[in-house]
Amino acid sequence: MSKIKNILGVSASLAKAGFKLRNEGSYIGIFWYLLEPLLMFMILLGLQRIINAEIPSYPLYLLLGLIMFNFFSNSTSQAINVISGKVKFIKSMKIPQEALVISALLQTTFSHIFEIILLGVFMTYYGSSFLGMLFYPLIFIFLFIFSLGISLILATLGVFITDMNNVWRVLTRLLWFATPIFYTVKETGLTKVMAFNPLYYFITAGRDFVIYQRFDMIFFIYLALISMASLILGLWIFERYKNKFAEAV
Amino acid sequence: MERIKANRVSKKFNIRIKRKGILGRLLFLLSDEKEENMEIEVLKEISISVNSGEILGLIGRNGSGKSTLLRVLAGIYQADSGEIKMNGEPVYLAGLNNGLEDKLTMRENIFLVSSLLGLGQKDIKQKFDEIVAFSELKDYLDVKLSKFSSGMISRLAFSISVFCVSHKNPDILLLDEVFSSGGDKRFQEKSLKKMEELIKGGAAVILVSHDLDLIQKYCNRCILIEKGIMKKEGLPKEVTKYYLDSLK
Repeated sequence: MSKIKNILGVSASLAKAGFKLRNEGSYIGIFWYLLEPLLMFMILLGLQRIINAEIPSYPLYLLLGLIMFNFFSNSTSQAINVISGKVKFIKSMKIPQEALVISALLQTTFSHIFEIILLGVFMTYYGSSFLGMLFYPLIFIFLFIFSLGISLILATLGVFITDMNNVWRVLTRLLWFATPIFYTVKETGLTKVMAFNPLYYFITAGRDFVIYQRFDMIFFIYLALISMASLILGLWIFERYKNKFAEAV
Repeated sequence: MERIKANRVSKKFNIRIKRKGILGRLLFLLSDEKEENMEIEVLKEISISVNSGEILGLIGRNGSGKSTLLRVLAGIYQADSGEIKMNGEPVYLAGLNNGLEDKLTMRENIFLVSSLLGLGQKDIKQKFDEIVAFSELKDYLDVKLSKFSSGMISRLAFSISVFCVSHKNPDILLLDEVFSSGGDKRFQEKSLKKMEELIKGGAAVILVSHDLDLIQKYCNRCILIEKGIMKKEGLPKEVTKYYLDSLK
């Protein structure tokens, strides 16, 4: 138990330092976090007529899909280098290596919070109810655990495969199009294929609760199962290989 | 009480291991060619034992395996064969500048590095003033480290490491070339005294150093390692003399 506490403490310190390093101490740096999703949002919104999507509350549907996917792709792509990029560090200090992965996710969580605030602004603008927002933290915890599992796997692969970040960049790009972010599953007729895309469940749950106030509690069972499976697999792989990291990097 | 026990510990490194790209790895799986093993034995059946209150010196030329042995004992590397029994939680220090971030302020660095050394937030707050006072850098608390001189950085690094380690009151201390603080003469004397306090505090200590005077002054026993083999073990005076003669 005290070991877990230590890991979380180190993760938080590393995340705090990383956040400060990225923003050089100024909070204006947060603006840059928001710029990318905001631009993407506006471009896709402008393309709405071409896509011909008739989706209720389309702007909110789009924005929430974008920022949830962003959390997953940003945290996982950062995780690839957290071990392999810190050679000197892990050879000369005995720190819990899980903390390096968790701190990457915590940093992405900071920016995710700002993106959610941005969503809140748009929800106010469109007069949407905030009731469903109460469930979002729970959905996010599952998304966090799911991303943590994948990140642990990627951090391990990143130690042994030099160009893992290139591979993952291509894969996340494919996943971006394979996830209903700017379209609906109905339009594609690929409902069965979508059942294999874990992110589909997270994003759909997020939208159903936050935007449409459809409180279908069965979602939480799906999310719990998917995120736990990911975490268990991730931990299993990471713990198995972590003793070899210091030598392999 | 026996704190550190290593029995016939060996360690090999495969220096041919290249971190390959994914295509290289896949092609390699498909082809029949066998990867050539180029293993070098860095440690060969090393056996040591250190009791609490004892200070063991490790000497030897560069690349002889001293640091590898400490890393194996600390659990950073895994031994290939042999047995290691550590009776207590080891604290491993290799160099003092680890974890410091140039672009963070001194205050932020103290929190970061202390946390990496395993202290909780409460403990850090408690130790903070002592660290700052010892480093004598109070006026620079909110200055980024990139503006520090190298002497100032050494002073800060030394203060953080020593106070954090002594706060943990470890049973086992593994120190790799951390004795010299690198500050000015007066600070060096002060830090030497502090370090003395730390290693004489009753822990089982292994000290890796090229400073033979230091080894003679502080160690109860000394081991000479040469190409991964324990060449000689005995009183510091004898072993250092043997080592110096062998260099001629």
